[in-house]
Amino acid sequence: MLEALMQFRHRRFRRDLSAYVDDMLPERARRRLEAHLDSCQTCRQELAELRATIEALGSLPMAEAPRSFTLAAAPAAEVRPRPAARRLEFGLRLATATAAFALALVIIGDFAGLPGGGEEEEEWVRGQLFSAGQETPAAMEAAPVETTTLMERAAVQTPAANETPPALEAAPAETPAAEQTPPAPEAAPVETPEPYGITEMPDISEVPGISDVQREPAVGADVTEEEPPENEALEEPEIEYKADAGAAEAQPAAEEEGNGLSREEVVRWLEIGLGAGVGALVIVWAFARFQRSIGNRP
Amino acid sequence: MAIADEGQLIRSSRKGDLEAFNTLVQAYQRQVYNLCLRMLDPVAAEDAAQQTFINAYRHLSSFRGGSFRAWLLRIASNICCDELRRHRSRPTASLDAALEAGSPADVPSHLAGPEEEALRRELGWHLQQGLAALPAEQRLVIILRDIHGLSYEELTEALHCSLGTVKSRIARGRARMREYLMARRELLPRQFRLRE
Repeated sequence: MLEALMQFRHRRFRRDLSAYVDDMLPERARRRLEAHLDSCQTCRQELAELRATIEALGSLPMAEAPRSFTLAAAPAAEVRPRPAARRLEFGLRLATATAAFALALVIIGDFAGLPGGGEEEEEWVRGQLFSAGQETPAAMEAAPVETTTLMERAAVQTPAANETPPALEAAPAETPAAEQTPPAPEAAPVETPEPYGITEMPDISEVPGISDVQREPAVGADVTEEEPPENEALEEPEIEYKADAGAAEAQPAAEEEGNGLSREEVVRWLEIGLGAGVGALVIVWAFARFQRSIGNRP
Repeated sequence: MAIADEGQLIRSSRKGDLEAFNTLVQAYQRQVYNLCLRMLDPVAAEDAAQQTFINAYRHLSSFRGGSFRAWLLRIASNICCDELRRHRSRPTASLDAALEAGSPADVPSHLAGPEEEALRRELGWHLQQGLAALPAEQRLVIILRDIHGLSYEELTEALHCSLGTVKSRIARGRARMREYLMARRELLPRQFRLRE
């Protein structure tokens, strides 16, 4: 016990050695350390080594500057932090994050089979659509909007699905759909549930998101002279990191980028980010759906 | 390295007097470059040093007194840390190059004998390796304190952290440097062979 206490005190004294060398210890701590040094050979040794290390570091030579760093002309455009632009950027980023989060919730809900996005419901909807017969295929191929309304209509009818829980449970077995809908023979020839399933999803709502993603690079590509600012925009996260670190006013590196970052660029990058995020989620979702529909094949 | 009329030069620079600012650049460029050189490879160090002065000129209005040197070194530190973050693999390899660029051979030595010179080179190499092994924040504080000789007050300005943090980083950095050198004490000058 005493040994442990001695060790603890010893460690504390060792830690103070550096400040002691620089004469940065408060008076009391310094006196205590000096008293300890009188009785501790190990600490005296360590102090001597520490001094030698510092001396050696101080003897490292300073290289000559390879060239003059004087400025030939005043750097372009004085930069001032633009709180408005930063607030806008922050708001847009927040909106992106919120949108992505909401979409993720929807997709997760879909995976988890929650009301509004569950597989059973979709199976049921599909059954309804097929039983509706003639209008469905045409509607699917020609008018996604109409499909959406069909889906909505089906969703309104969803409570009816509760009437046939056995059918829903058996849905993965694929045949009950035929039992449920006597005109199934008509649907059976169509019998392309998997392609149907695949094409069906995007046209509900995600297609615009995808096309947005595809549109983004084109927008960026138009503005070739804006490439340097783009690079600066890419460095933005580091800027924020530095700001977080508290280096507020002497963050010229950061603020310089803030200067080159026009409002349009912020929006553009936001759109790219949003589009890419949504696109990735949709791809994952579509892939999972595809897998599922393959699994449901007879 | 302080300039007699530094305050006046800063005021003139703020008004757009490029010549006044360049006088400041000339006074501090060696220190700024050496800090960058100890943190990055020579090419990146040159870029970082130049960027430091460009940024400094653009943001002179945000300088609120205190040590101008600390302010400049703070800008340089931020640029170096950014660069290190971008290329995490760079520092270890590049410090060899930095050593070459800033080796004692490049600087006129006051020591006469070739043996002493060889020892200094050896020590310099080990110190550089030891520095390279430190975490960036400790390396930075050791360079600023023990090589550039910044006071603790200047360090708090340059690193924008509390005195306690500065003390703690210095203590940890030095302790690691000591351990590093002691593990190789047989290769070092005699002041490191105290135990023998």
